[in-house]
Amino acid sequence: MGSSRSGIPLQDFYNYDDVQNDFVKNIPKPGEYPFTRGHRSKAQPVGAWIHRELSGEGGPVKSNEQLKYLIEQGQKGIDVIGDAATQGWMDPDHPLVVHSVGTQGVSACCRDDYLKLYKDIPLDAISISTSLPPLFSLVGLVHAANEANVPIEKLRGSLIQAPLYTEDCGYACNLPIELRIRLATDTMEFCTLHMPKYHSYLEDTYFFSESGLVTAVEEIALGFVQIRLLVREMLKRGHDIDSFAPRIAILVNCGMDFFEEIAKIRATRHLFARLMKEEFGAKDSRSLSVVIACHTSGISLTAQQPVNNIIRGSIQALALVLSGVHAIEISAFDEAYRTPSPESHMVGLRTQQVIELETGVTKVLDPLGGSYYLENLTKNLEEKIWEMVEEIEDKGDPAVLSENGFFKGIFQNAMERYSNQIKSGDLSVVGLNVLQIPPEEDTLLKEVSEQKIEPYYERIKEIEEMKNSRNKNNLKKALRKLYTHAQSPDANLVAATIEAMAANATAGEITGTLRMAYGGPYDYHGLVKPPVEGVDK
Amino acid sequence: MKYKVLIGILGMDQHEVGSVIIAKMLRDAGFEVIYIGRFNTPSSVLRSAIAEDVDVIGLSCHSWEYLHFVPGLIEQLQKEAADIGLVVGGSVITPKDGQSLLKMGVDAVFGPDSTSDVIIERMTAICSRRGQMD
Repeated sequence: MGSSRSGIPLQDFYNYDDVQNDFVKNIPKPGEYPFTRGHRSKAQPVGAWIHRELSGEGGPVKSNEQLKYLIEQGQKGIDVIGDAATQGWMDPDHPLVVHSVGTQGVSACCRDDYLKLYKDIPLDAISISTSLPPLFSLVGLVHAANEANVPIEKLRGSLIQAPLYTEDCGYACNLPIELRIRLATDTMEFCTLHMPKYHSYLEDTYFFSESGLVTAVEEIALGFVQIRLLVREMLKRGHDIDSFAPRIAILVNCGMDFFEEIAKIRATRHLFARLMKEEFGAKDSRSLSVVIACHTSGISLTAQQPVNNIIRGSIQALALVLSGVHAIEISAFDEAYRTPSPESHMVGLRTQQVIELETGVTKVLDPLGGSYYLENLTKNLEEKIWEMVEEIEDKGDPAVLSENGFFKGIFQNAMERYSNQIKSGDLSVVGLNVLQIPPEEDTLLKEVSEQKIEPYYERIKEIEEMKNSRNKNNLKKALRKLYTHAQSPDANLVAATIEAMAANATAGEITGTLRMAYGGPYDYHGLVKPPVEGVDK
Repeated sequence: MKYKVLIGILGMDQHEVGSVIIAKMLRDAGFEVIYIGRFNTPSSVLRSAIAEDVDVIGLSCHSWEYLHFVPGLIEQLQKEAADIGLVVGGSVITPKDGQSLLKMGVDAVFGPDSTSDVIIERMTAICSRRGQMD
């Protein structure tokens, strides 16, 4: 007898006895509460999900060309990733970031960058998601929409909020937890009031499950811990659950355990619906049926035999389409080495289009629903996920747990577990620990996968020049206002950030000002000084 | 006596999985590990390595920044005449780049296919060589 990757024991086969009594007769329909089978009640053979491929490279102008190209090729949404400094809430002229500028995403730090990044993109028709710090992603988009005369209430897309896990996985911003939670809530609040079509809270379980190598159960349990935290923050501020819950979405990972990943997505929808209805009293059906987007797992891809990654991406994408997700991004075959090349962008996009246009799998909603095995696995996962959510919450306030390194411990254990599974062979990865071939034979797609992007050093000078040519009085006034707002707990910081960016303050400067207002140093690394004196006096 | 290893990551490379796993593995194998984590420059690595008197520096590389930082670190090690080994490991190091690192003076390069036995054996050999070079 085997088990799923999360450790759920599996039987040789499943039968009527393995699902609840009367289950087959009583299974809720797609489009009905509890939405395990998705929010739609009508099948949509074409256009059922948004195709996105991760983009961003060099400066904003080059990335803008990439985005426009992908839209021309049929992409309905974009997903912009920032380079290391941008994702780390820092500027390209910071001494620590010099060799990373523009290599793993776009370098964007000020208003002008966002105007260039989104130039000529139909902001009222394309859904804009980003892997950027939520505060700057939102404010940059607002400035770009204003410039293009697109009313912000028409904007669609999403903001990743990850205050609990951002320091342990992916890109640390080195801001205190109270400020991280406040910024998440401030941006959600701003969007609730001004941007009704925009998903102001994308719970991104993808990024921490990738860098922490957690199982499906851990991934979704940690996601729900954060969802409950941020929902409670919004309720504390007096917002009605139905005013913001419809704008929560979840971005999940999809690894190689085919059925478990499908069951995970169905279980997540069910748990979300019950949480919103039973605990938070939501009534609007849009609050109960959560939008799920997905990236296929980058960590499941290998540097060895990169062509195998195309196969992995196709299988994962098929699992996602069978689960009925709202948006898909396929991690590129050259992921082990770099952000996607134009060649791998095209492969990712075409994989989605082949599934959509040639296989017929989208003609029926939740085509695997009612399978004894899948329904049993879905229920099992739901129970395990909720047990873990309760276990974690029993340990205390998640914000305190985050500060004490509790979550970091979960991620480190998971990393070690994964490394042991690869070493012992409990987990087979073709080309990595089984069926390896000698490096001299491993040539197919190798060259394109290993192509490097040079750091965009000219960009550093460009930003230095912009900083030198700004009106210093306006800058000081704007940063000073931001500082005083940050010190007053009732102010929403989005408005002051919009003004600061209008005065050409950069992401690094805004972050430094906020950090100072919370009693920290302007620069966490102690290498740069504030652009003007007296912001904090 | 225990061999002493410093493990760190350079620049804005934030992928910590590899370094955490390697640090644990080396500790389990009896090494003393000084873990300095993320956000380092060649100078900060060298400062910690000298202050802690380590036998070998291990850099975890999951972004291309290492290509630009490692030559600088080798230069600084030579300038200080520091008798400290240097090994580099990570998924983004291609076989070709690995070769040029070895030529540059890096003592060993590890990739995703290096087994823990090989890593421990090479690290032990590099540490035991220390002090016997003059």
